[in-house]
Amino acid sequence: MEYLFTIWVLVTLNFFLPRAMPGDPFLYLSADEGQEVARFSEEQRQYYLEYYGLDRPVAGQYLSYLADLLRGDLGYSLYYNEPVSAIILRRLPWTTFLVMAAVLLSTVSGTILGSLSAWYREKLLDKLLFFHLILLSEVPAFLLGLVLLFTFAAGLGLFPLSGAITHFASYSSWWEKLLDILHHAFLPVMALTIARLGGMYLLSRNSMTTVLEKDYLRTAWAKGLPQKRIIFRHALRNALLPIVTRVFLSLGSLVGGAILVENVFAYPGLGHLMREAVMVHDYPLVQGIFLVVTICVLLANFLADLVYRKLDPRIGDYSGIRGG
Amino acid sequence: MTAEQYLLEIKNLSITYHAVHPPVKAVDGVSLQLRKGESLGIIGESGCGKSTLALGIMGLLKQVGVEGEIIYRGQNLVGLPEKRLRNYRWKDMAMVFQNSLEVLNPVLSIGEQIGEPLRAHYNLSPLEIDQKVVKLLEMAGLEPEWRHCYPHQLSGGMRQRVLLAMALSCDPELLIVDEPTTSLDPASKNEVLQLLQKLQKKSGFAMILISHDLGAVKKLTSRVMTLYCGRVVELGITSEVLKNPLHCYTRGLLNSSPNFFRYKDLWGIGGEPPPGGSIEGCAFYPRCCQGEESCRQARPPLRYVALERMVACHKGGIETFLRAEGIRKKYILKEREIEAVKGVSLEIKSGEVVALVGESGSGKSTLAHILAGVLPADAGQVFFKNKKVEGRWATKMVGGMQIIFQDPFSATSHRLKVLEVVREPLDIIKWGKRDEREEEAMKALQKVQLPVSPEFLNRYCYALSGGQRQRLAIARALVTKPKLLIADEVTSMLDPSTQANLLRELKALQNRHGFAMLYITHDLHLARKIADKVYVMYRGEIVETGVSFEIFENPEHVYTKRLLREAFRDLV
Ligand SMILES: Nc1ncnc2c1ncn2[C@@H]1O[C@H](COP(=O)(O)OP(=O)(O)O)[C@@H](O)[C@H]1O
Ligand code: SF4
Ligand SMILES: [Mg+2]
Repeated sequence: MEYLFTIWVLVTLNFFLPRAMPGDPFLYLSADEGQEVARFSEEQRQYYLEYYGLDRPVAGQYLSYLADLLRGDLGYSLYYNEPVSAIILRRLPWTTFLVMAAVLLSTVSGTILGSLSAWYREKLLDKLLFFHLILLSEVPAFLLGLVLLFTFAAGLGLFPLSGAITHFASYSSWWEKLLDILHHAFLPVMALTIARLGGMYLLSRNSMTTVLEKDYLRTAWAKGLPQKRIIFRHALRNALLPIVTRVFLSLGSLVGGAILVENVFAYPGLGHLMREAVMVHDYPLVQGIFLVVTICVLLANFLADLVYRKLDPRIGDYSGIRGG
Repeated sequence: MTAEQYLLEIKNLSITYHAVHPPVKAVDGVSLQLRKGESLGIIGESGCGKSTLALGIMGLLKQVGVEGEIIYRGQNLVGLPEKRLRNYRWKDMAMVFQNSLEVLNPVLSIGEQIGEPLRAHYNLSPLEIDQKVVKLLEMAGLEPEWRHCYPHQLSGGMRQRVLLAMALSCDPELLIVDEPTTSLDPASKNEVLQLLQKLQKKSGFAMILISHDLGAVKKLTSRVMTLYCGRVVELGITSEVLKNPLHCYTRGLLNSSPNFFRYKDLWGIGGEPPPGGSIEGCAFYPRCCQGEESCRQARPPLRYVALERMVACHKGGIETFLRAEGIRKKYILKEREIEAVKGVSLEIKSGEVVALVGESGSGKSTLAHILAGVLPADAGQVFFKNKKVEGRWATKMVGGMQIIFQDPFSATSHRLKVLEVVREPLDIIKWGKRDEREEEAMKALQKVQLPVSPEFLNRYCYALSGGQRQRLAIARALVTKPKLLIADEVTSMLDPSTQANLLRELKALQNRHGFAMLYITHDLHLARKIADKVYVMYRGEIVETGVSFEIFENPEHVYTKRLLREAFRDLV
């Protein structure tokens, strides 16, 4: 229910915000490369306005916008001359891929490093990790991206400079293609992962340290359980709770990071697309992207709730078996 | 006795927390032995190191320095690597932890937590483990269905049962139980105690029960150890120690335990324990009622003072201040003889309130006068601090004995001023200079909450109210800082409210300054409120004597029963 309401608010915001932006879409639509000469006559302009419904009262526009949305119709891109949904669908997998890979890598490695730090707290390993990762966490993702791009792609030539896949290449097998994709994605994913690593590390180090000092951990030691079980079943299981919340909650900011990083690497995801759309004042496209991204993030939050409920029996337990 | 006969033997164990500054020595040279199936209670205020000792035995402390030996079945566990220790844990020694919400893992089910030691230590199939878990839960008085629930769904009492079921899962030889009843309501408390008792009888494990609930200790253990500042100060058979504690600290614990004194007001031990390891000599010195400068110099070793009883005190435990043996006194009147006291013996220990009760005419005051050396006895002897009382020496010294008479001021003192009355005992023994004496007198007046204004100090005694005069008498007695105060019906002439106030103040003074008191009264209500021990006197004889809660709970002598019946008739 909450989620539905949130989605409605987003959808509405999404409708009004671009309209409040300055600039005239026809200027770009009608502009030939470099020169801003009106290619459309006044009649044509009128025709398009009518066609897109831009001449109708805002309330009417809003209602038909909602109706279209329900049908999955995000409108038509003026600039690309293509349905918005089709463009977004084409680009979405790339961004999803980047974000997922970065989330996975940063969470797993952050948790491992943080747990190690907590386990060896105040020892040399902890101190080293702490110092370096705190330093890293201060650098923003796009800056990291730039540095990576200049050193590994431009400087050493180890990775491609842009794109998600080699154009016009023919692959002899599917894994060759996969390798090419990974080769392209490596630097952007690294930029995102490293930028997030510090935060994840700190969080899991804190979380693990807290858990390690809990009474129930002492209970576990007292029972003479194998160390592996104590670490994974008793400690990590509890330490993961705040980490999971954070992972899902930080998806939004991660998408933000992805948008910047994609532009650094000219990676053909939604972020890159968004920049183009904004530049040419392509309202329907911008709206569509916004909508898809926010709904994705919301969906992730919803998922987080589910996962959290599974992980922590204390949440949402009103079954009333207490007492006796 | 060879070491092998002990299940657990601890030799000179010290545990220091190094993570805090300054480091805290929470356990300080503790030794103990435990045979198979035996149960030992450990008592002491919170913070005295009970939990630290328990966790230390299990080897569960981190960032601590451990010295000494913990020998389990001949194997010293101190310094053993974690891997080797794991073999002892739960299978040999298990622990029921101090109950708290976080002592069980919040995200794992009860069943898993009870069953996992079985999985770790034995080769059992999941089904076998589940069956065992069901059995354990039933044994602990819980329905098996609870195994699917999580800790937050249990009440405190149920969690205690789960902890117990969990501890017994691998049939340990030694069970350490830390505060099983704190934070439980009285009903669940009793249930848990009964359960523990039943289980111990059935499984025969040896048990170390840590508790400051003396009732629990009395019920479940055969021997008891008093811990103070991480040191053992008393060790003995539980029933004996609780009936007749020999260390001042154990007695203080008893006096502040509601389990034993249903009627008596509770009087805690004054002061705070010093942080562990910070004191050279006797750690109890700052709070001890019989401590002397020498106690501060060296640490008292734990020594046998009686059969099966050890006490760590330079003075061998609570001192006997007054001992009377076979006191007899006859008054010879014109026509007849009255045998007022017929062979009475009694004992008053340091810091103890002893009530001497009996109806008027039973010989109480005569006895009091003889004890103080004011009246010579026909036969028998009185010793004050092991020195025979002949004449008045014991009342003519600082730190001696003082008596407050039933009828406080004779005709002469009526004509004295307040200050003179209070100063007089010091004048008589020529203590200090005159202004020093006056200063002490003022202090004594303040102690009994009398004014020290010049106007009051210069008032004549006949111009005082009954209550003021009684207080004045107490101040006069306190001015020599007596170790023993004999108070003969000091409140009987006052109205009930003044009586109650004065009595409370007197007891407060006693508690604070730690003097012993023989409180003579015919009023059982009052006696019951303050007395540690009671002597019942009837026609010149002591007919019953004992610890006050026993006498008042189940009197044996017909006369005592009658006294009690009459005294409390209006209450029943
Ligand atoms: N983890 C710890 N770190 C430092 N000091 C501690 C720690 N645990 C207990 N202490 C100190 O050790 C002393 C004994 O504590 P504890 O064994 O818990 O006593 P008890 O169980 O008798 O209440 C106390 O002075 C306490 O402050
Ligand atoms: S008499 Fe001395 S040694 Fe004994 S308990 Fe008191 S202070 Fe300690
Ligand atoms: Mg404790």
